[in-house]
Formats: sequence, structure tokens, C-alpha cells
Amino acid sequence: GTSPACRSTFNVQDGSDFQDRVVNNPKPVVVDFHAQWCGPCKILGPRLEKMVAKQEGKVLMAKVDIDDHTDLAIEYEVSAVPTVLAMKNGDVVDKFVGIKDEDQLEAFLKKLIGA
Amino acid sequence: DYDLIIIGGGSGGLACSKEAAALGKKVMVLDYVVPTPLGTSWGLGGTCVNVGCIPKKLMHQAALLGQALQDSRKYGWQYEEQVKHNWEVMVEAIQNYIGSLNWGYRVSLREKSVTYLNSYGEFIEPHKIKVYTVRGQVTYHTAETFVLATGERPRYLGIPGDKEYCITSDDLFSLPYCPGKTLVVGASYVALECAGFLAGLGLDVTVMVRSILLRGFDQEMAEKVGAHMETHGVKFIRNSQIFIQVEQLEEGMPGRLKVTAKSTEGPEVFEEEYNTVLIAIGRDACTRNIGLETIGVKINEKNGKVPVNDEEQTNVPYVYAIGDILDGKLELTPVAIQAGKLLARRLYGGSSTKCDYINVPTTVFTPLEYGSCGFAEEKAIEEYGKQNLEVYHSLFWPLEWTVPGRDNNTCYAKIICSKHDNNRVIGFHVLGPNAGEVTQGFAAAIKCGLTKELLDETIGIHPTCGEVFTTMDITKSSGQDITQRGC
Repeated sequence: GTSPACRSTFNVQDGSDFQDRVVNNPKPVVVDFHAQWCGPCKILGPRLEKMVAKQEGKVLMAKVDIDDHTDLAIEYEVSAVPTVLAMKNGDVVDKFVGIKDEDQLEAFLKKLIGA
Repeated sequence: DYDLIIIGGGSGGLACSKEAAALGKKVMVLDYVVPTPLGTSWGLGGTCVNVGCIPKKLMHQAALLGQALQDSRKYGWQYEEQVKHNWEVMVEAIQNYIGSLNWGYRVSLREKSVTYLNSYGEFIEPHKIKVYTVRGQVTYHTAETFVLATGERPRYLGIPGDKEYCITSDDLFSLPYCPGKTLVVGASYVALECAGFLAGLGLDVTVMVRSILLRGFDQEMAEKVGAHMETHGVKFIRNSQIFIQVEQLEEGMPGRLKVTAKSTEGPEVFEEEYNTVLIAIGRDACTRNIGLETIGVKINEKNGKVPVNDEEQTNVPYVYAIGDILDGKLELTPVAIQAGKLLARRLYGGSSTKCDYINVPTTVFTPLEYGSCGFAEEKAIEEYGKQNLEVYHSLFWPLEWTVPGRDNNTCYAKIICSKHDNNRVIGFHVLGPNAGEVTQGFAAAIKCGLTKELLDETIGIHPTCGEVFTTMDITKSSGQDITQRGC
């Protein structure tokens, strides 16, 4: 579908958008911190989006450009990119830095959904 | 509210801030980039990272790789396709790297608990600055000590069309389109390095020089740098010219510009069309709009630079200055970094070590690189007297140049020795590949008091370019010929 409720990936607009759609989200959310200048991010992003879509709405994905939202990146202690946080009920329950393959991403997502 | 506020987040400012924070002080760094007339701007890190050393060396490398590709066929590499250069691919790769550096600096400031504001600040009263934020708000901050590290920006020609149509090094390294046929105005290392790599990438480049090349550098070496660029297709116009105007004939990326200039020697008018005009005639210190007059900090009115004592202190005791804005000091990143670190250690770490500005090595990254440490020959003659010096010199042929058939009488090495001080090496000059790498080690040796005898006792590494310095026999005073014959 094309309605917002069906879209599993979204770009974070600002701090309060992050609060509403990530921290306060009843569903688990993976947060992809990325940057324009980061080559590996351009590989991980689409791959993660694809694996998130496969989970049929059980997990959502928020994308944060660290240059646009530096305060947010600093708050969540992002040093290198890509950094992916797994968030549930406002808490960071898992995290990884760098590229992962599809199987690894699937395992990461399934653990987040299942836990 | 702060122990230290640093105005400027470049090489000097950041080094000083991190050192002061490591010593437990509460530090703030202000960094703000006023966009160029064409709208170019950049992130944290200063000139070196964004529009200086880093992108320059990467583009120089891109050009050297082009030369290497040409040489490679002689070494047996065979490929069918014509080799072309894609400017946009290169700029994107370089800008991506710079983006990661900008972010790295933000992270490292945060890790050291340094407060960073991407804002413009100015002094409004002693110990107090007014800071303008992006949203137009104003905040005030006070500190016990201030460090000025605002750096410089390129100077324009002051003629119609310069700001509207010309670019500077501030714009070049992120230019989203290939500059095409380029006129470089100036003969500084910025001008020659840029002209050099643009030509190396295959562009039609002309350099317009008012008088001498590389002012302040050894002139024999400077002329050799220029001569090599000329044999590699860079055109030089070396009459003194007065620029009249730059007009735009056609908009575009790049567009077409018409440059009009008049010779100072005669009635000839120079008119030529270029895609890009790059102005590299000098850099001005960013000290005019930060309220220095308000708190009484004296600057050199002629160039805007800040005079300091040997502890980098201005005439106002709680205000220090480091980096390119210092009057009469070297404009180099490592110098600014060293000065910044040592200043923080003196202020807060109980140290008394001052920054040593003598025998600082440098390298000009023109197509044929020029590395030096110590005196230029003419300055040594002025300081010591010609009769008190012995100058050894040699042409050399890098082994890697033999197979591709590159000239054997181009690379040049020269050392200047003080006769009455044990033939102490007081000037070191090398023109050749990897000049920066070669010069670094010799700079350390010079700091240890290198003499000609020690140099002769040092055994060379073979086959390298650097080894030429261990076997220099011919002096300029002997008049002997140093021309290499092919073997």
C-alpha cells in the first residue's frame, strides 16, 4: 500500500519527530544514522530497508542524517557511520556499526522483534 | 563562564582547544564560515581540511596518477581505452572524505567536552563576546582567556566581475563541474599548485604572474618549479598586468568569461576567453569584524595580521593568537597545531616550552614537488655573507624516470652550509618526486645540528632520490658542471 501506515521506512525530520515516531513508538524501530559523505552507508541503507520491509510491519526504520541532525547523533553517541540502533519502548536494546550482510541484518531484526 | 574561548575552529584552534580540555579546562570553540561570493561554504576544521592542504594534496595525487598512467605503458602496461579524467567523480570522493573529517572533529570535540558553536562571534567588552546564532538569536559568553585563530580568506582583484564570475581556492575544491580552460591569477604556491594539478588533469591552464614566482621562497628553486610546469604545458604570462575587468560571455557550468588586462609596460591590451578564472593573489586575515578594536587588540593595519610576542600573546594580556593570522610567522598547519598545543600547555599545564619557528620544513606540491628547510640561498647570503657559505648542489635522475624517458636534468638538490660553524647545514632544498617525504627526515637532522660531514658520513639508501644528499661533492663556488650524462 502507499498510505503512511504501510511505509516501514521514514526520514526523521527533527528532535520532536524522533520523540514521536521513534522513542514513543509502540513498535520496535531500527534507527539508521548515516551521512552523505559515507560510502558504506549508501550500501547498508537500501539493504536494511529491504530487510525491514520483509518483516511486514513488525519493525519500522527511521533514517537520520547526522549532519542535518547533529544534536540527535551526539545524544545517541554516534561516532562512526553507519551506526544502527535497535530501539524498543524508547530504549536502545541493540546496536551495530558498519556494514552487515542480509542474513546478519535479518537476525538482528528478528532478535529485536522477538525479544 | 569559560576558562578559554577560541575564535576559529581550524588547525590551530582545534589543537589548542583539545589540549586545554585535556588539561581539565572549560573550553568553547567558535567556528563560522562566511560563504564565498559564489555561495561556497564548508564544515568544521578550518582551511587545511576543507579548502587547503587536504583537498589540494588529493587533487595533486589525482594529477600524479595521470602522469603515472602515461609512464605505465613504458613499463609494459597495455590497455585499449583512452584514459580520461572525470572531475565530478574526483570531487565527490574528495568531498566525502572531507565530510568524514568534519564529523570526526565534531566527535573529538564532544569527546573532550569542548563546547562547539557554529556561530560568528565578536568582542563587545573586555573578556566578553557576543555570539550570533543561525536563528538570529544573540548569546553572550565570557572567558578568562581568549585565543584568536580565525585564519585567512582569499583576496580578490578589486575589479568589475571579480566576485561575480571568478573563483578562488575556496570554491575550486568543491566545484561541481570541471573548470575547463582556466586562467590562474597569481604566483603564490596556491596559484602554482592549483595550476599544476589542473594541467595534470588535462585542462588548458595559463598562469598570470605579476613579478616573481613563490615570493619568500628560494628563487633559484622557484624558477625551476616554474620551468618544469612550462615544459608540462602550463602557459605563463609574465608581464606585469593591470586587470581591467572580467565579463561573462555565457552562463554555464562552466561558462565562458572574457578577461581584459592592460600591460604596465606598453599599450598592449590583453584579451582572452576562459571558462574559469581562479584568483590566487594572496590571503587576508579574518581580523576585521570580530571587535578587536573594542578591546584594544592591535593589528597590523596593512595586512590585518596580529603581532604577538614569542608566547603568542597580543598586546592585550588575556588575548592570544595562533595560526595564519600571526604577523611575520609561517602560514602552515603543523605550525598552528604546534603553537596551539604548546600555548595550552603553557597556560594550563605549567609548561614553559615555546613554539620553535626556526627551521620549519615545508613542501610546495607543484607537479614537480619542492621541499625545503632552513634558509633560501639569497637569504643565507644576506644573513651570513656569500664568502661564509658553501653551497653544494647536484642534478639527479630518479630511477623511476629512466624507463619512461623523463628528463635527467630536471630534479635538483641543494644544501647551504655555514663555513664558520663546522659546515652546518642551514638550508636544504630538493626539487623532485616525493619531496615532502624526503624533506621530513632531513628537517629532523637539521634540528639536531646536521653538518656536511655528518651528511657525508651517512650512508645513502639505494636506489632513492634522497640518497643524493649523502654524496654531494660539487660546490657552486667551484663552477663545475653538474649536468648528468646518460649512462
